[in-house]
Amino acid sequence: MSFSLMTSAKQEKSGKISDLSHLVPVLELNRTGKTYGKHQVLQDISFRVNKGEIFGLLGPNGAGKSTLMKIITGLTKPDSGQISILGYDAIKERSEIKPLISFVPQINNLEKELTVSQALRIYGQIFGIKNIKTRLEEILDEFKLHDFKDKEIQHLSGGMSRRVLIARAILTKPKFLLLDEPTVGLDPDIRWDIWDIILNLAKSGTTIFLSTHYMDEAQKLCQRVALLRLGILVDVDTPDNIIKKVKITDGQTASLETAFIKLLGGCCA
Amino acid sequence: MQWYYIYWREMLLLYKKIGKLGYIFSSIMMPLLYLFAFGLGLGGRDITGGNYVEFLAKGIIGITVMMNAFQQTSLSVSIGRFYFGTFQTVILSPIKNWQIIFGLSLAGVVRGMLMGFVVYGVAWMFFDISSISPLAVLAIFISAFCFSALGLVVGLYVNNPDALSLVNNFLLMPMTLFCGSFFPITNLPAWIGSIIEKLPLSIVNSLVRTDVLGPSVWQDISILILIGLACLWLGTNMLTRYSE
Repeated sequence: MSFSLMTSAKQEKSGKISDLSHLVPVLELNRTGKTYGKHQVLQDISFRVNKGEIFGLLGPNGAGKSTLMKIITGLTKPDSGQISILGYDAIKERSEIKPLISFVPQINNLEKELTVSQALRIYGQIFGIKNIKTRLEEILDEFKLHDFKDKEIQHLSGGMSRRVLIARAILTKPKFLLLDEPTVGLDPDIRWDIWDIILNLAKSGTTIFLSTHYMDEAQKLCQRVALLRLGILVDVDTPDNIIKKVKITDGQTASLETAFIKLLGGCCA
Repeated sequence: MQWYYIYWREMLLLYKKIGKLGYIFSSIMMPLLYLFAFGLGLGGRDITGGNYVEFLAKGIIGITVMMNAFQQTSLSVSIGRFYFGTFQTVILSPIKNWQIIFGLSLAGVVRGMLMGFVVYGVAWMFFDISSISPLAVLAIFISAFCFSALGLVVGLYVNNPDALSLVNNFLLMPMTLFCGSFFPITNLPAWIGSIIEKLPLSIVNSLVRTDVLGPSVWQDISILILIGLACLWLGTNMLTRYSE
């Protein structure tokens, strides 16, 4: 299996990753594939995500991002290939992996009838958190949710719901956090807010894997990104390197968005 | 004991919803309509060789428990899978699959029994009927367990929540009408009756109306428990093989 990895020297130069020990794989995919009926959604996907990294998954609609995300979380079983998460076989040793990872889905899947406090508490209990009372207080402080803790989820704004959704995922102190389109449909100020949360999580040592449609988000947050098109992995590299790989013609700006359009064709399926 | 948190989550959601008029009405409105329509309309007639309203009220308990236990689990799982994504939270948790299934089914048992008792309580207030026996309470519990477990399997099996209406229309509704809730199965043609009496709701209705333990009662109880356990086993396996 050959991985296109960012060199440690470049990582250090970029200032985004400062420690060589981060190059420990948290996620390794080796020729992962998935077919629904006759439609091959993912084909021979291989890459790895290193400890402490923020890794982005980019691709147009129908590229297979959500399927890949579901395969990594364990919601969908792949048809072929191997996946290793934190050193465990993702299929055979899923029960070992479950307490170590958290998933923030694209849709708000909080129980809308519950209050913020109730939703977080029951999630923590389901995930077997000891001293849930203390941890709940910590997370309410960390995410500035104290004023909203008795409010029902259905009465929260979209941005605040997303905040609670991320807070819930962090409650378990996961080693590996997966976020599916974490800022989709949010106002710019709330996107910035969520970005800060993600960057702070990465600083505290959490490895983050996120899918996004927003190139500015990928450029701002991710050390490396994987480009997916029609279920095929087109490239894995740093945003800067991907931008450099694309030939810019007159009137075009060198950006990840331009590279995305040129490499992935802008549309899919 | 991890199942307890799965169960508790369902109870919290039930507690939040139960205060809402629409929820309580959707849970017991149809059985109450049956009770009052048939109880007032046919109550004075000799259909069962005894007190018809008492016969009817115990049959209505069977229906209410079946509907509510089944709906609690089938809707929680199917809507949680397809609309709200809340089932993802449960399935991604470190709780073992059999404990998830057990916790969910226990919630179905509680809702089924709760609504069954509410309906019987209303019947007791408005009609001249006796209290139910301890054996009937046991039968209600086992019935709730059986249909709750069945609801889980159906909730995991369907490809969309609309498919639940097929089960409602082709399994639950015919059982509601034919399985001895409104009239004795012996009133049916013999060949139909011999099939109908083997269905779970017929067994439940028979148990709820029985006061004395006997070999046939134990056999009926065993059949319902076996159906419930088979559904729990199937549900656990479906969860192990679960893939979206």
